[in-house]
Formats: sequence, structure tokens, C-alpha cells
Amino acid sequence: MNGVWQFLAARRELVASLVGRNLKIRYKGSALGFFWSLLTPLCFIAIYAVFARLLKFAGDVPNYLQYLVSGIVAWQFTSGCLNDSLHSISGNSNLVKKVFFPRVILPLSTALANMVNYLLTFLVLLLYLVASGNAHFAAIWLLVPAFAIHFALCLGLCCLCGTSNVFFRDTEHIVGVVSQAWFFTTPVMYPVAFQLGLLPERLAWLAYLNPMTGILALYRRAILGMPIEPVDGPWLAGIAVSCAVSCAILTAGMRVLKAGDARFGDVL
Amino acid sequence: MKPGIAISIEHVTKRFPLSALGSSSLKHLVLDTFRRRKAKTFQALTDVCLEVKQGESLGIIGRNGAGKSTLLSVIAGTIVPTEGRVEASGKISSLLELGAGFHPDLTGRENVFLYGAIMGIPRAEMRRRFDDIVDFAGIGEFIDQPVRFYSSGMYVRLGFSVAVQIDPDILLVDEVLAVGDVDFQRRCLKRMNEFRKSGKTLILISHDLGAIQSISDRIAILDHGTITNVGGPVDMVDAYHGTLLAAATGGAASTTEWGSREALITGVAMLDAAGAPTKRLPDDRIIRIEVTFTSTRRIENPVFGFGIANAERGVVFGSNTQLERYDIPAIDERGGRVRFEIDASALQAGNYQMSFSLHSADHQTNYHRLDNALSFYIDRPARGFDGIAALPVKVETHIFQK
Repeated sequence: MNGVWQFLAARRELVASLVGRNLKIRYKGSALGFFWSLLTPLCFIAIYAVFARLLKFAGDVPNYLQYLVSGIVAWQFTSGCLNDSLHSISGNSNLVKKVFFPRVILPLSTALANMVNYLLTFLVLLLYLVASGNAHFAAIWLLVPAFAIHFALCLGLCCLCGTSNVFFRDTEHIVGVVSQAWFFTTPVMYPVAFQLGLLPERLAWLAYLNPMTGILALYRRAILGMPIEPVDGPWLAGIAVSCAVSCAILTAGMRVLKAGDARFGDVL
Repeated sequence: MKPGIAISIEHVTKRFPLSALGSSSLKHLVLDTFRRRKAKTFQALTDVCLEVKQGESLGIIGRNGAGKSTLLSVIAGTIVPTEGRVEASGKISSLLELGAGFHPDLTGRENVFLYGAIMGIPRAEMRRRFDDIVDFAGIGEFIDQPVRFYSSGMYVRLGFSVAVQIDPDILLVDEVLAVGDVDFQRRCLKRMNEFRKSGKTLILISHDLGAIQSISDRIAILDHGTITNVGGPVDMVDAYHGTLLAAATGGAASTTEWGSREALITGVAMLDAAGAPTKRLPDDRIIRIEVTFTSTRRIENPVFGFGIANAERGVVFGSNTQLERYDIPAIDERGGRVRFEIDASALQAGNYQMSFSLHSADHQTNYHRLDNALSFYIDRPARGFDGIAALPVKVETHIFQK
């Protein structure tokens, strides 16, 4: 593992170039360019502000709009990585076939490009929270582990999806369906309590097997000051479970990428 | 790895799964597992062993599909061998495909820096080399346009320029000489020669036998995934020509024939001074050709013609029995043969193809024509000169007295 990071440190310019390329291509030719990363979340906030009034469980959660928007913004990082990573390797076949370089750089640069975008969006979210008077930054340091775990999860997913899509083009369709299902099993639009209500308190950590549940809880604790559920139960165990699952996905992703690496040149 | 060796290829075998070459899907994986069917494979390389010394330039020749590009990809590390191993010392830059990795939406400048980053060149270093790269490519202010607006020539020039300017220790070149205009090809060759002289290792693939012979220290012949021969460039090109010629007289695909077929050229053969068939130009540089023919009917005053062409320079010389004022009264079903003797000592070094024709005296009817039926090459001209043919020259001087 140490060797990997040394290798990446030596290749940081390549990573930076590819991240820059991914971001440049995303906004190439659009008139507003990079402003879209700031404009899009603002539009979402406006749309959800209307939509939130229609939802039944809006009353169960204090500051429901802020709860919803913070969830959506974080979810978009995950789903953005899922979508972009599908072609992170197969879409660069000319590069992979003709030039040798460590392949992990491709999913890594996809994840990083999305991360840059996400951080900008997150900045808009923070400004919105301050402006709307709902910011509770007492535990803002929790953003550090939140971003770290979230990035590890996304990098793992990028490796998995990118590699898988090289060999099985069905991956694209499967990911579309699975990410939709994942969205609805993640407490983005509804409170975590909905899921915890179905479980005995001792097994509350089961809900956190979905890593996004723990990651969202950390974010909301950090910027909205919302307690992590179950409030009077083993909440730390839940976060630990989400963190462990994220790390497991990252490890699996790296393994799969390494196993696939030897055959990329044959298949692409 | 032994000192002084740049690349060592040990018992490399490469099999490609055939199913993966087509559409790969989960369905196939599931079905294949279910049926316990073994995936079909295609063996591109078989037990290839080769060592390339530092500072050596090695040419690889062979027919299409012989495995040349696969071998180069294995050396570049983009394809992992099924068996055996490849070791290389130093930074490898591969020209497996010029401009590979360029993103169409990025400008030339952005792509140059991206390529540099992929090859591990620090950005500051790339900035220093940038002007040279643009100069060599000769694309001027287009450098700040997205490369999808480039002509294919500009694309290729920029690709070559950036690949050689990153100053690799080992340069892999796949058929670069086949693209670009004559001027660009000449500059590529010049650059590769400079590269060679600076003690770097060069491996190149080309179908341009003249060029590869002039630039290689050693040539390997690859046939059906196996190295069949390695040796000095002149001997190898010669040997390869032999196999090509054998294939050509056996009805190879590169020979094309057409005509009304009322009369047929049934064979062409090159003969040596003793009149025995030969596959290479005899040392006296006289091309002796025997053309055998048959006819379906009696034809008055037929004309036998031939042309000598060079791939880069087009037709070098052509003539026929009519132009040579040699009258053939008639041919008929019994057939016969015609012999030509052509003095080729005036020709420049290079590869030449010969075409033959049999047509009517008024040139209205082509009975039979064989294009590229025979080839030969001249490894060095009888005397040094510029151009394609040595014309007789007389020189006289007179020094003026004040």
C-alpha cells in the first residue's frame, strides 16, 4: 500500500492533468462553464424548496429543506462518480492501449474531478445554510472524516464500475438500476428514524451497512447540528460500520482493478 | 538484466481470448460458465525471445497479422504477455499510434502537456520543450485550437513531435513512415537517425523495407507470431523479399490482374546470368525476365510491356516490344515465351515492383495485365547519386586565364 502512494506521489502531475482534463471537458463549450457547478446546486435548492412542501414527512424533520438539500448534494457526489466512472477506463481505450501508466490513475482522476466539483457545490450549500440562518457549525470538524470516508467509498466504486464496464458492458445498465434503488434506501429524502423504527435498538447498526447512511449522518451532524441516530443508542457503532463498509469497497475496488489490469489491453 | 541490454524479451507467448474481441457481456460469461465451454483463443505470439542492446536500433518486419504490433505493445507494457516476461530499462516512449491519447476537445497545447504528464515529464520541463514541439510539428497558431479541428496530417505531426521531444531512452515506432507527406516522412527519418546517433534504443516496424533497412542495425522477421530470422539488415530484407516473392509467384494477394483474357500471361520469372530462376537481382544488375503466355486465338502484332515502379516515387521506367521496335508477328493457342533484358545499373537503391501487360498493337484491348507481379530491390546504387536514376553525365572544365 505504501508503494502505491509513493507511486502516486511521483505521478501527481499526471493525476492533476487528468483531473483538469475531466473538469475542462465537462464544461467545454458551455457559455457559463465552471459556474454551472455553483449554479446547479442553487437551482436544486430552489426546486426542492417547492417540492419539500408537498412531502408528507416534512413535518417530522426540523429544517426539512436543509436536511433534504444537504442529502441531495452529498448523494450527487456518489451518483456522479458512479456515472462518470463507467467510462473512465473504457472511454480512454486509446490511452490504455497505447501508453503504459498505472491504471488506477483513471478512476482516481474521475473521483477527484467529481470531488472538486462536489467541494464547490458544498461551499454553495454552506453559504446557503448561513444565509438561511440554519448553520450549526459546532461540530464542523466532523466534515474531515465525512469527506474522507465518502471519498474512499467513491474511489472504490469508481474502480469497481470502471473495471467491470471494460469486461461487461451490462454494467452500465445494472449501475443505473442499482443506483436508483440505492438512492431510495438511503435516508436522503426521509429521516433515518424511518429505517431505525423497523429495527430493534441492538441491531440499529444494520441500517448503517449502507455506507451512505453513516456518511450523510456525519455531514448533517457537522453542518446542521443534527444528532446522529439512534440518539441514545450505539450511534458510534453505526458510523464505524459505515466506515468499515466504505473501506471494504475501496479495497475490493483496488483488488478488482489490479486483477483486471492485465487484460485491459486485450479487451479494449 | 544484463548490463548493456535495453530490452530483454524472454519466451513471450500471447494468447487473446477470442470472445473478448467481440462483444463481451455478462450473458456470455454466464452461458460459457454454464456450458463449461473453454473460451477460444487466438495466439498472436509464440515463444518470442529477443534481446535489444542499448543504443541499438532493431527493425521488425513481417506480413500483416504476423504479430508485429502485438510485440511492440508487449514491450510498451500495454499488453501483458500470457507467458514469459519482458524487461526494459529506461523510459519508453511509444509511437504505437501517433496522437494516441489526444482528447479531441482539448487544444493542442493542453494535449501536449497531458501527454507529457502521462510520460512522467515534469510540467516545467515540458514548458521548456514546448516551443520545439510546436516548431517540429509545424502547426503554428493551431496549437491553441481543439485537436478535433486539426487535419489528420497536423494531428499526426503533433503526435510524432511530442513523442520524440520527450526524450525517451527507448523509442517504439509502429509504421509511422506510412503516414504524413513525403516531407514529413523525411523529417521523421532524420529525427530517428539523430535519436539513434545519440545512443538511444530504437525499435521500429515498417513495411517500407528500404527505410527500415537504412535505419536498423539488426532486423527480426516475424511470421505467424514467431521470430523466424534475426540478422543484419541487408540479409534480412533480402530473405524477407525471398519469402514475399515466393508468395507472389504462388499467386499472392498483392498481385492484381485484369484484362480481356483473350491471351494470358501464365508466368513471369527473373533469371540470373546463367538462365536459372532467381529471386534477387543478379550482381550484374541486369534484370532478365521471362514471360510465358498462352492465347485463346490467333492475335496479330501483340505487344508485351513491362513497368518498373517504386512505392514512393511512382513509375520509374516502362517500355514494351512496340517501343523497342521489336515486332512479334502473331501469337496463338500454342503459347510461347518472351524474354526481356533490362540494365538496372542506373537505378537508385530501393524497392521496386514490376508489372506486365499483353495488349493489342493499337492499345485498344488489354488482353492481360499483371500488376506488381514481381519485386526486387537494390540495396545500394552502382554509384552514388541523387534522385532515382543515374543518367550518363560528361563533365568538362576549363579554368579561365585572367
